[in-house]
Amino acid sequence: MYRYDEFDEAFVAGRTAQFTDQINRRLSGELSEDQFRPLRLMNGLYLQLHAYMLRIAVPYGTLSSRQMRKLAHIARTYDRGYGHFTTRQNIQFNWPKLKDVPAILRELGSVEMHSIQTSGNCIRNTTTDQFAGAAADEIIDPRPVAEIIRQWSSLHPEFSYLPRKFKIAMTGSPNDRAAIRFHDIGLQAATNAAGDIGWEVWVGGGLGRTPMIGKLINSFVPNEHLLAYLESIMRVYNRYGRRDNKFKARIKILVHEEGLETIKGQVEAEFAEVRGGVLTLPQEEVDRITAYFAPPQFTPQPATKIDVAYQSIIDPAYGRWLDNNINSHREPGYASVTISLKPIGGAPGDATAQQMDDVADIAERYAFDELRVTHEQNLVLPHVAVADLRAVYDALLATGLAEGNTGLITDMICCPGLDFCALANARSIPIAQEISRTFAEPKRQAEIGDLKIKISGCINACGHHHVGHIGILGVEKKGGELYQITLGGDATQQAAVGKIIGPGFEAEKLPKAIETLVDTYIAKRESADETFIQAYRRLGEAPFKEALYGTA
Amino acid sequence: MALPKLAPAQPAHDKLRALGIIALNGMFDEMDALGVLRYAASDVLPGDLAIVSSFGADSAVLLHLVAQVDPSLPVYFLETGKHFTETLDYVEALKKHLGLINVQAIYPNQADVERFDPAGTLWETDPDSCCHIRKTEPLEPITEQFGGWVTGRKRFQTVERGVLPHFELTSDDRIKVNPLAYFSDADVNRYKIEHGLPEHPLFAKGYKSIGCAPCTSVVAEGEDPRAGRWRGLNKKECGIHFDFNGAIASPMTAPATRHTLWKNGGFIADPFHAWAEGDEPTGASYKHVPLPVFLANREAILANPHPLGLLVAPGDRIEDVEADLHRFASVAIQFPGFTDGRGYSTARLLSQRYQYANEIRAIGDVLQDQIPLMRRCGINAFVVTHEPTRQALIENRLPEVNIFYQPVGTAEIPVGTRPFLRRVS
Ligand code: HEM
Ligand code: SF4
Ligand code: SF4
Repeated sequence: MYRYDEFDEAFVAGRTAQFTDQINRRLSGELSEDQFRPLRLMNGLYLQLHAYMLRIAVPYGTLSSRQMRKLAHIARTYDRGYGHFTTRQNIQFNWPKLKDVPAILRELGSVEMHSIQTSGNCIRNTTTDQFAGAAADEIIDPRPVAEIIRQWSSLHPEFSYLPRKFKIAMTGSPNDRAAIRFHDIGLQAATNAAGDIGWEVWVGGGLGRTPMIGKLINSFVPNEHLLAYLESIMRVYNRYGRRDNKFKARIKILVHEEGLETIKGQVEAEFAEVRGGVLTLPQEEVDRITAYFAPPQFTPQPATKIDVAYQSIIDPAYGRWLDNNINSHREPGYASVTISLKPIGGAPGDATAQQMDDVADIAERYAFDELRVTHEQNLVLPHVAVADLRAVYDALLATGLAEGNTGLITDMICCPGLDFCALANARSIPIAQEISRTFAEPKRQAEIGDLKIKISGCINACGHHHVGHIGILGVEKKGGELYQITLGGDATQQAAVGKIIGPGFEAEKLPKAIETLVDTYIAKRESADETFIQAYRRLGEAPFKEALYGTA
Repeated sequence: MALPKLAPAQPAHDKLRALGIIALNGMFDEMDALGVLRYAASDVLPGDLAIVSSFGADSAVLLHLVAQVDPSLPVYFLETGKHFTETLDYVEALKKHLGLINVQAIYPNQADVERFDPAGTLWETDPDSCCHIRKTEPLEPITEQFGGWVTGRKRFQTVERGVLPHFELTSDDRIKVNPLAYFSDADVNRYKIEHGLPEHPLFAKGYKSIGCAPCTSVVAEGEDPRAGRWRGLNKKECGIHFDFNGAIASPMTAPATRHTLWKNGGFIADPFHAWAEGDEPTGASYKHVPLPVFLANREAILANPHPLGLLVAPGDRIEDVEADLHRFASVAIQFPGFTDGRGYSTARLLSQRYQYANEIRAIGDVLQDQIPLMRRCGINAFVVTHEPTRQALIENRLPEVNIFYQPVGTAEIPVGTRPFLRRVS
């Protein structure tokens, strides 16, 4: 993975010193909260319901065990012993004290991490496929380019005060696991007729109060011109994005209001000016960065074949884990393992300091020292020898992270909601926990199969509810909490925004409503091979609506 | 008397001493300007008297007196090279109108100008030195040739001139004659009207005391007329009105004014003024013309001979004026709030794409945390009122990470950028 050189180190140290000075001025009273606010936001420090919240960037979701241990140490020393992994592949600490933040940032700096640009109206951490560099279906490993984008966008002087925050996601594989069509810019690896590798550029996707699917603005931008193209989009957005209304300031609104053709014209005109200029990526530099992401030294593996059916009989929990949490690897004899942070009844995405340490040990011992954070709030060991899977499972079991539910109904995305978030209308973690308990029974989960539930505590949609096969949105109605259900959302290459099915439900009635939807699906599906989303697409909303609300 | 004498004349010490300067001052009615000048030219300093005139808003009155007394009296005009073209036109107009036959221009030493003011911006950073090389120095050899000088100074003009007499003895034994010492603003105007004197073209536009273009601004109603000179600078007089030997006749007592323009490492006087509602595209000078106003009045503004700037608000398209950018001495980019980042794109387009090399200034909500970013985008001047930001600039402690990942301009390549960008663009 990428290693800081002296330059990166000096950069992060400079930024840490700068922010430390600002914190000290705040603590001494020299800065008011108003004056401090924009400064702390640029460094990922939010003021939440109960305390400050510090968001730490995990560039393109990649961590070493050393870094994971440092996060564990921070959780233990400065927080309440746990951290929360987010849909932006970052980690948040919910209880740091302001006076400790400089120390935390210094600790992070010592393992090549920081919190720069994790909030504020700037270009945020670029996210990518959690299986990057490992997946069998990959055209190109997107991480070197993600790293180059990280460098280009860090404290960019022109793009630090955009109309609104800006999120880029990329995937090197045709199977989109990074939800690129729901980002301000989505990049999908592509090959042109000559066989060169470049990028499909999607623009104007997003969730929030106005969910939009990104639109294809250019079907092939050569790798060497990618930064120039991104800069062109950023400049058009910075100049013409709306600033009169915070809720209409994202690029998705600009693209929607002006029309893709207008924006495309402006971007292409700008691109014609900057293309071939100083942002052209020399191949040597791409090679230099790519070298950091060279695959680990895989050792040829004996042809190990695990008989999953057999294992399921003698150890059903292990069998489920093998079934659901293993992803195929491009290297024979290896696999990628998803570590579920969705234990039944737990808070999605949370990990304790002990679990972080244990996971770091496992990664060091069995997975070439590498870890990933997924946008679905899980962790991944990208490279594990198939022969080691049982040992990895046992180690995960020992630390309580062996839930074999990846991709199943209990593998929910869920925002912090009213328990932590100042903007929330409704609780979301307790809802997720309740649904999790409702469907705890492994057989039931297996019978249901692939089903993505996503929960947000308010319209900001941090929990991606718009793209849940079943989405749940907390709203406030007449002083109480109500939950609206959407159906049919999809974050992948078959991108779709879910549709509201009808009036909302009170919290107590929600698990029952979800059960009704699930039962309807099982009753109406053509076979066990037809997933919920496929069945919904075939059947439409009518049978689900009828099951929930009866016939009109 | 035709030409100025080449050998300095002996000042009329004896006669002066005989009369006594006090007696001399007692001889004339306060308002008898013509009598003062005639007596000076014919009796006190015959053949030994000259005039320095700025050909400014009030100069016509004195020159009209001169024409009546002797149209061949030497009248020197300091051609600093920094005058409004209106002023140069006015010199010709007055000469003709009054029949003056001995008006001479004095030029600065070209070598001095090249040495001390190669860019022509010394007025901005060090007006005292600018005046020195453009006025004091060139005038010195001339003043040595005469025993006495006529000035147009008036008591009302500034605080320091409150006790001005008709005749003064300078410390190097020369006589200064001030025929208009007791004239008020109203007297001057009445005189001009009574005698049908041509007005300086800029007078009607609000200029009450006109000097070099960069150092002159409009004076508000009721304001000290000379407040428009060196506005914002703690500078009231040019060296020439002090003692001829250069000693300062009276201390400068005006309180230091706060400058808000930060440029080249210091707060300096700002020659520009805000564009006002009724400003005329044809006659405006040292104003930042709003971009839409420029587009609507392009021909008039291109024909306007005065120094002008361009004001770019967020949302204005700088590309619409690309071809005319060279017309402007300064571009002001407006940041209505520090979170409005549109100006950064404008600045980069200006400085990098259009290679605009003059002043690019940030105005509006300019704060310490944004200045480093603005600089990297090509902004090279800042109008700053926020006190902590001013202090941070003065103490040179801007919150800044001074190594950069991405290239945005050529200036910071190759130092401080990523290896892949360490190429000259
Ligand atoms: C706890 C405090 C949090 C606050 C105050 C907060 C606030 C917000 C707000 C205001 C938006 C809407 C922005 C817009 O559309 O312009 C937003 C969007 C988003 N948030 Fe959060 N958030 C919080 C936590 C989280 C967490 C924990 C996650 C990940 C699990 C997250 C992931 C996201 C994502 C993915 C979006 C994207 C919507 C989009 O890109 O359109 N947020 N957040
Ligand atoms: S979706 Fe709303 S409630 Fe949930 S974290 Fe985001 S802002 Fe808070
Ligand atoms: S008036 Fe201004 S420009 Fe002219 S010489 Fe004096 S300082 Fe220089």
